[in-house]
Amino acid sequence: MILGRVIGQVWAARRDARLQRAKLLVVRPHAIYEPAFATRHLVATDDVDAGVGDDVIVCLGAPARASAGGNDMPVDAAVMGVVDRIDLSPDAMRAAGAGPGIKRALTLPPDAGTK
Amino acid sequence: MIRGTVVGQVWATRKARGLEGQTLLLVAACDAEGRATGRLVVASDTLDARAGDDVTVAFGSGARNVLGPGPNNRDLLCDAAIAAIVEGAG
Repeated sequence: MILGRVIGQVWAARRDARLQRAKLLVVRPHAIYEPAFATRHLVATDDVDAGVGDDVIVCLGAPARASAGGNDMPVDAAVMGVVDRIDLSPDAMRAAGAGPGIKRALTLPPDAGTK
Repeated sequence: MIRGTVVGQVWATRKARGLEGQTLLLVAACDAEGRATGRLVVASDTLDARAGDDVTVAFGSGARNVLGPGPNNRDLLCDAAIAAIVEGAG
């Protein structure tokens, strides 16, 4: 699963029949996310009625399909939770060599990534 | 699987039904030498890992097998899970 922030929504009139009722959100992953394709965002179906500005948990791959309705769904990412709180351990981050960058990524303003 | 260090915990009240009951930890991924890569992953935890623990994280069907064994666990909503807490590495 990855952590990200909802930065928008996608509407599409013509779409796969199995996606007719799906709400499609644009999510900007926090910190570094390295998909197989060169982009800094992903589009995910929404299971929990998340809105723009929400920090969310996104599940990738087969669980996203299972959540969307079955293994034949044309989906590879699904928003599965709206984050209330993240407890970060400064000691553990230091030990991991993670530095302040992660904390900065988690505290970007809601409109980050939209410009 | 990858190696990483647990740096925190993620709390979500509103979540998909299949995610209920899962403890979600934030793991900073390491490279082969144990240096942080800056990558973060949210992983389910069944081993009671704590912040600061070095862990290995399994993805895909390997992650589902951590939560529930067997070939018929495709409906488990999990794509990353902590598979082991590392005590030492050479």
